[in-house]
Amino acid sequence: MKSQRILALVKIQYKSLIRVPTTFFIMLLLPIALTLIFGFAFGSVIIEDTGKSVFEFLVPGLFALSGLFMIIPVASSFSEDREQGLLKRINTTPTTAAEFMGSHLLSNMSMVILQVAIIGLLCFLMGYRPDGAAAGMILAFVFMVIYSLSSIGLGLITATIAKTAKAAGGIAWIFILPQQMFASGLYPLPDSTIVIKMFMPLHYASDALTLLFDGIALSDLRIWGDLIILIIFSVVIVMGGILLFKKYGKA
Amino acid sequence: MSKSKNIDQTSNELIFGSDNPNAIEVKDLRKTYTGKKVIEEVKAVDGISFSIKKGEVFGLLGPNGAGKTTVINIFCGLINPTEGDAFVGGYDVKKDLSKIKEIIGLCPQQAAVYQFLNAKENIELFGNLYLVKREVIKERMERFLDLLGLSEASNRKAKKYSGGMLRQLNLIIALIGDPPIMFLDEPTVGLDPRNRRKTWKFINSLKETNKTVVLTTHYIEEAEALCDRVAIIDYGKLVAIGAPRDLIEKHDSKNLEDVFMKITGRRILEGI
Repeated sequence: MKSQRILALVKIQYKSLIRVPTTFFIMLLLPIALTLIFGFAFGSVIIEDTGKSVFEFLVPGLFALSGLFMIIPVASSFSEDREQGLLKRINTTPTTAAEFMGSHLLSNMSMVILQVAIIGLLCFLMGYRPDGAAAGMILAFVFMVIYSLSSIGLGLITATIAKTAKAAGGIAWIFILPQQMFASGLYPLPDSTIVIKMFMPLHYASDALTLLFDGIALSDLRIWGDLIILIIFSVVIVMGGILLFKKYGKA
Repeated sequence: MSKSKNIDQTSNELIFGSDNPNAIEVKDLRKTYTGKKVIEEVKAVDGISFSIKKGEVFGLLGPNGAGKTTVINIFCGLINPTEGDAFVGGYDVKKDLSKIKEIIGLCPQQAAVYQFLNAKENIELFGNLYLVKREVIKERMERFLDLLGLSEASNRKAKKYSGGMLRQLNLIIALIGDPPIMFLDEPTVGLDPRNRRKTWKFINSLKETNKTVVLTTHYIEEAEALCDRVAIIDYGKLVAIGAPRDLIEKHDSKNLEDVFMKITGRRILEGI
């Protein structure tokens, strides 16, 4: 693994964040817009039982949702690189598959950190104060970074299925919508749907963030249970995505 | 394990060692497409054998679908041959792909560049992928951009480039790692006559640096002007090979285009 290659590829991903409108919109504008909309719309609506605002209740879901939407730019960028012959071209250079995929994982995971920091700052400016301690907030970051792996994996699976970058943007919703509906915690759902969300990585990220923002002790086993299951989900999905894309998606 | 590695190394030295005059060797190479998507078995490359000398500009000619790009894709490791052997720089395409990738540069048919980057950023990226030092990338980049007349537009994003400019950028990217063996797949298609001449001059300048250039083209006059030797491929078979002048004499023709038509003309006669 040569750092010169990885850094050069990471740099390109960051440039695409600024210069490619879809990436910029989904990775930065959409989470900011959602936070502002939910903040202004529900910041003063208080839930009687808890004394908290609806916005405070929604914050963990907002964080998790921003990681979920990452599926679209990941799928689009791989599909577009393939359409333009860039994957083939890079494949003829001494760059190894590990360096190429590693650079994508690194850049996307670091973009999630940026995303989380921006949403966190916005929430703070809008008066949101999590009950958790600093260690809990750091762990929340870790959850988001691990969760982003599953989104990258799903992005790769989407790019494998999609024939074009435009199609990838549409197909990505197959993975986004169910998770958004059942596992983001943004929508009140009947208990009968619990089984469905157990199979969605977003549930474990969203659940852990809710617990951590509510100030639960780090010794609580529910957090570590969520972490273990999320790691398993993310590693399996990202490995599956890489293998599928390598076998069926490159050409 | 180590024993087989030694045998490979020895064979590489035998093939590409200083005594070996060949940069590329092909023996009975075949590529057949079969499978669910292909109704009929397609022989894209059908038992071709030839060698390309070090420092030679070698043209691969043939009608559309003759198998030229398939041969180049095999050399670059993008597809595996069905049968036969191919050695690039002495390395076996089936075993030593990572070594081959260090000594080749590909200018693909499709201009494969990042549209949201400018020319300099695209070149710099590929320079880094070949682990070229920053100052060397800068020096080569400026020289190549100047040679192909792209200097002024080098800070413009590639998506704003014309087709011809993209082709030239495509060519520069292939060269930024200074590979000893270059594959140029129809590098001048779609270029206007002025830019085509400029590209010819550029390719000719590669001869001075003793690079081996494998060029596919549809423009027969281009092959005649640039290539030391050409191979004509038709239906995946090698139907002629030699220096343009020798082929013209052998086939009693006025120029290489005549030779090409005499050899591959059956397609037209058969109405394919």
